[in-house]
Amino acid sequence: MSPVGVEFIVSVYNFCSPELKAPRADASSSPAELKISSEFLVAAEEGVLSLLVVGSVLLTLSQRDVFWTLTLYKSSNYEKLSSFSRVSGVVHNDAEGKMGRRRRPALICVLSSDATPPCSSSTSSSEATLSDGHVRLEPVLFKLLFGIDVALAKSPVILCGLPDGCLCFLPLRLPGSRLRVLRSLEQPVVFVGASAPGQCLVAVGEQGRVVLIKTDKEGGGHKTVFIEGCVPAPVMCGCVDKNTLYYSTGSDLLLLDLSEGSTAREGQERDEETRSKTDAALQSPTSLNVCRIVALAVSACNTAVELLGLCVRGQLQRITLPVGREDATLSKVPSTQGGRSVRDLLSAIGDVCERASVLKSAIKSKNQILQHLNQVLNISFLLTASTHSEEQLPIQQKPIRCHARTGWSRLLQEDSLNLTCVLDNSSPYVLERGWTLSVALFPLSCPPSEGGESSSAHFSFPFHNLHPGQTFEVSLPLAAAGDASFPMTVSCSLIFSLTSLLGEEAADLAGLQSSCVSLPLNTLTVDWLHALQVNSPTATPEKVTSQTSNPTDAIQDFLMSRQIRGSGRAEGGGERADQYSASVRVSAQLLRDTLLLKSSDLDPQGPKLAPQNVCLSLLDWLLSEGAGGVTTGRQGDKVALCSSGIHARGPNGHAVKLTAKEVNVGEESTGKEESPTTVEVQVQSSSIAAVCGLHHAVLRRVQTLLQRAPASTKSVQSLGLRRSLQRAERLLQEIQQSRISVAFGMGASTGQMTRTLLSVYRELRENPLLIM
Amino acid sequence: MSNKMYQTHSLLDIWIQENNELVNKWKQQEGGDALSRHPSQNQTHLRLCSSEFNKLLRKIQGIPPLADHTQLELTVVYNACVCSMAQSQFSEAQLLLQQATERVLQMTGDDPVASDPTGFWRTVLKSVGNTALTPCVLSLLCLQWAIWLSTCQLKTIQEFQDELFSVFETLSTGVWDEGRREPRGKSSDIPLLVMDPRRLVELLQICTLIAQGAERLSEGRSSEALSGLQSAFSLPAPRTLIAYTHLLSGSCLAHMSRPQMALQCYRKALETDSQCVCALYQSMLIYRQLGNTQAEIQALRLLHSTLTLPSATEPALAGTHLLSPSLLLCSRSLSSLLSVPSALSVLHNLALNCVLHGRLSEGVEYYLDLLAALHSEDQHGVHAEGPPLPRLPELYLQAGAALLMARRPADCMALCDEVITTTLELLPEKVVLEEPEEECEAETKALSAGGEDEKVRMLLWAGAAYLLQGHCYTHLKDWKPAVTHYTRCFNLLVKVRFKKRGLQPQIPSADVVGKQGTDLCILQRLKGLSLAGRGISFTQTDQLREALRDLQLSMQALPECAGAGLWCGEVLWRLGRRREAAACWEKTWSFTPQPSVESLSVYLQEPQSGPLLDSMELRRRIQELGPTSSA
Repeated sequence: MSPVGVEFIVSVYNFCSPELKAPRADASSSPAELKISSEFLVAAEEGVLSLLVVGSVLLTLSQRDVFWTLTLYKSSNYEKLSSFSRVSGVVHNDAEGKMGRRRRPALICVLSSDATPPCSSSTSSSEATLSDGHVRLEPVLFKLLFGIDVALAKSPVILCGLPDGCLCFLPLRLPGSRLRVLRSLEQPVVFVGASAPGQCLVAVGEQGRVVLIKTDKEGGGHKTVFIEGCVPAPVMCGCVDKNTLYYSTGSDLLLLDLSEGSTAREGQERDEETRSKTDAALQSPTSLNVCRIVALAVSACNTAVELLGLCVRGQLQRITLPVGREDATLSKVPSTQGGRSVRDLLSAIGDVCERASVLKSAIKSKNQILQHLNQVLNISFLLTASTHSEEQLPIQQKPIRCHARTGWSRLLQEDSLNLTCVLDNSSPYVLERGWTLSVALFPLSCPPSEGGESSSAHFSFPFHNLHPGQTFEVSLPLAAAGDASFPMTVSCSLIFSLTSLLGEEAADLAGLQSSCVSLPLNTLTVDWLHALQVNSPTATPEKVTSQTSNPTDAIQDFLMSRQIRGSGRAEGGGERADQYSASVRVSAQLLRDTLLLKSSDLDPQGPKLAPQNVCLSLLDWLLSEGAGGVTTGRQGDKVALCSSGIHARGPNGHAVKLTAKEVNVGEESTGKEESPTTVEVQVQSSSIAAVCGLHHAVLRRVQTLLQRAPASTKSVQSLGLRRSLQRAERLLQEIQQSRISVAFGMGASTGQMTRTLLSVYRELRENPLLIM
Repeated sequence: MSNKMYQTHSLLDIWIQENNELVNKWKQQEGGDALSRHPSQNQTHLRLCSSEFNKLLRKIQGIPPLADHTQLELTVVYNACVCSMAQSQFSEAQLLLQQATERVLQMTGDDPVASDPTGFWRTVLKSVGNTALTPCVLSLLCLQWAIWLSTCQLKTIQEFQDELFSVFETLSTGVWDEGRREPRGKSSDIPLLVMDPRRLVELLQICTLIAQGAERLSEGRSSEALSGLQSAFSLPAPRTLIAYTHLLSGSCLAHMSRPQMALQCYRKALETDSQCVCALYQSMLIYRQLGNTQAEIQALRLLHSTLTLPSATEPALAGTHLLSPSLLLCSRSLSSLLSVPSALSVLHNLALNCVLHGRLSEGVEYYLDLLAALHSEDQHGVHAEGPPLPRLPELYLQAGAALLMARRPADCMALCDEVITTTLELLPEKVVLEEPEEECEAETKALSAGGEDEKVRMLLWAGAAYLLQGHCYTHLKDWKPAVTHYTRCFNLLVKVRFKKRGLQPQIPSADVVGKQGTDLCILQRLKGLSLAGRGISFTQTDQLREALRDLQLSMQALPECAGAGLWCGEVLWRLGRRREAAACWEKTWSFTPQPSVESLSVYLQEPQSGPLLDSMELRRRIQELGPTSSA
């Protein structure tokens, strides 16, 4: 036995439990829908908030604008009998109404306990008392509250507690009766009830005001006393069993003893005493530690007090309190110990399950976040380590890297160059939610027209889980035709933001919003070669037209072909002054060693390649090989390579010609020696920008080739070295001369000087040194 | 161009079709099962119709007014207005009318100059002239008339009366049909109306006459009202309204102090419409005024049976479902004329009248019916106009007194017991009765909820119940309990302290006489009657000293109490004080019974059933004593 005689059991029924669901599987997914046709319409009334059936009468309490209307219907044929209206004291704010949560008024029927039950069909009066659910009041209290006429007529009285705080009553069977106010609580009435012997009428307001209405014998006659008190608020619901008021505040279920004060009737002093006791009881309700109850009812049970509570989450709880309530004067027990032990006991039972599930989910989410964070840290370490040792690790061996592919696409008759960036995760870690691939594009050198300001573009691509071995591909516009400056640097990095890790919790912290980790991956370069649009050089205008399947492109193609032919003629004629060219000479041996060795793995005929093939394979390699992790996505390469020359269009739309041919550049005087074969790559275009860009690109490529070349093939030879030296000296003189003239500010204008520099440049480019 | 014409025409046709479909749907619903259906369902249907018409109207008014469309537009406005008004949304209807007429003016190119409604309508009528549109505009004017009538703007109607009544002429002479047939041949092309304007204008005319009559009557211009009503008798109208005209004429005549002619009118009203209970009620009032109690009782009985009969709802005239006369007749002066007290109140009046005028057994039955009705489950606090029913304890006591008069003392005692058990616990130890202030007497009576007043009243009811029980025992010649009950009554009454303004509360002395009907008067009367009763009981048990004391006190409290005076003489006579006895008798006879006694409750009147003294015998005794007395 526990020291304090309060024990109770909370039984829980979950409305959503699978056992209670309908047996059919399809029905369980959604609640069953019942169609109710209009013939079942009882009363087409707006704003009905409460209902009550008293005998043969159906009562509805409705709110329309500022009026509370109590309407009576005959419950046999729903004929409207009469209605009573009252102006609401406080008009509630519309926001509440719009929220859809209107407070429901309390509506009960009160009878004098000496009156016969209103239901004529009831068999025995005692049973009806229990079953009809109407409240019985002591005759004296009844008469005092509602008047002698009501008592004489044995009329039931309707009591309604309105959300404007008024406690109103209406004698049901008195001719000419009106809805009158019994008391105002000045706060929304939540509950109206009476103790079981009928000695006390209770009304509870939402903000915790409790009004007990009792009789008091004073000077021989009875009179009504209103005892007011305040209990912890907010009161959600309540019910009365015998002499105890149970009410829920949402966070707790409390009980209040109503019996005190009504038993003693000896005299004035005693009354004062009991009243103060009642006040004290009102001050200190006893907690039962059951939370989240939104509706309460007393279930009929003889042995113990049994309450049925409906939980916020739809659970029906049965709360059983034992009968032996003689020692349950616990509102009087002053020792905190008793209260605490009860508290402990109750909290142990309480709603542990509910609390535990909340905790469990919190722990689970924390674990997930930690795991996530672990992955993030691993990846960060990996990437920072690789940046430190970047020199050692080539791009291909980085665990997480980006490579790219360029491709021309035509949209709305406009060509544009797209870059497809592929993030390759070959690390053992998973890139989880929260990572973002950030790609920054900026030109290696900015065109003078933009005033030195770098025009860079940034792209971010958030992605979800990227597992080891998986790739993530994004596509971004590089440039529309004609408005980009190549070469372009593509710098890739991974960004992780803390916000995504913490989810909703981070939303509250303003500081967290911008906090993120940025890890650089690798940098790619897109050069002129990547951006070339290769045309088939043999294609006649007719062929071009016939090849294009889309007729809308025909004119464009035609114009293009005309342009190519035009430039070809200019080249052929050699008359055009603005036909620029530059060339790069590479030793054929070097090429053979590098290119052919490389391709021998794939091609068995590799070693026996003819010299012609060296040129072709060089061009092929230049155009298709992924230099610096960027490949071109051209399709018609094979067609383009059928001759040693390639006609193409640069990104700025100018036609360019790329040719590779084997030349002999041995010095005439050293004819005895076996002159090494050399492959010359020549770039020709009417646009100097194109020539420069392509030249730069070709050189870059050849540079990588040199890195790959086996060291043994290098032999020092003086091939045409002297001639080259002479030329270089002459050029140096020219430059110096022009510099002097500029320094003295005489003679040459800036345009003249530019021309001089250009001619120097051209001469340098047209007669390159041989790359061995 | 032709293509455009075709399009507009087809649009017009679509709209006409839509309107006609709505009207037909409404008529079908209305005609089908309007009576069997729930009124709220009808309301829902009405609301639906109204919104459909409004939607259609918005579509039509979306384009600038065209002569071609106007007839359709005005028809739809008419339909929408009727639907709005049927839902008592008069301001909405007014707005629709206003907009429509303004569009008509816009189309004809006239400016709406006049700001007052009558001037405005005159402009509209003038600008339309005598074109095909006239019937449409006239039907809208009818609606305006209806709005004026139902919002009690009788003055405006008065100003515009000539035009309005000429509308009636115009519409009833068939301009309507011609005007509508003119533009199109096929009947399907004519936009339909939910309510025939001709029926409406008939209804409006008689309702206007009735409302004006009621208004004039309430202003005291009876003869003027009467002449106005005379013209309404012959109008084509539902029976109910014709009965109203007769009723109003009767009321006018009653005001002009011609009760017999008024009765004739009321009879005519009843003959026209048997459901016209107000005519019955008014004739009852006339009979009461004339003092014809038998006729009054008869009228009350008829009135009661008519009120308790299930009211057979007369099927409304075809085509007037939407705008009922009750919607048009809502002036306060008329409703006060038409008001009838509740069935219970009538029943109480009937019972009381029967008891007061000697039809005891009948009266008792009515009282018992009344009590049964009050206890029945079908009683649902129906609130009706007219005089309220007396308080329930009062009714119990009246019924008890009636039962005693009908020599049913046991039943009387049971009723009194009920009153006593109900009040006993609430009776105060002492209570102060304040002298009511002259001017606010009525108000204090009205404010019955006041605590102290209610206590006094309860005490008086309990006292009266004891008094009646004493009477019962006296009637049964059971003197001992009779004395006990009279004593209980008296003991209750002395708890009341009377407080004059500016004085301390005190037990009212015998010579304090309250005004008729006040609590003080009732208190004194109860004291006198209880003392007299006890005195008489003592005389029967030969306790002459006690008898003499009580009877003398009784005579002080209630000098006009005949029983006390006579019995006091008798006691004196028995005690051998014959001269005093003779003087006492003479004095008692000299009091003429006051007419005010009639107005008192039955239970406060002197019992008729106690031991009686033969006046002839007493006079003989005085004769015998004669010489000495004269000396």
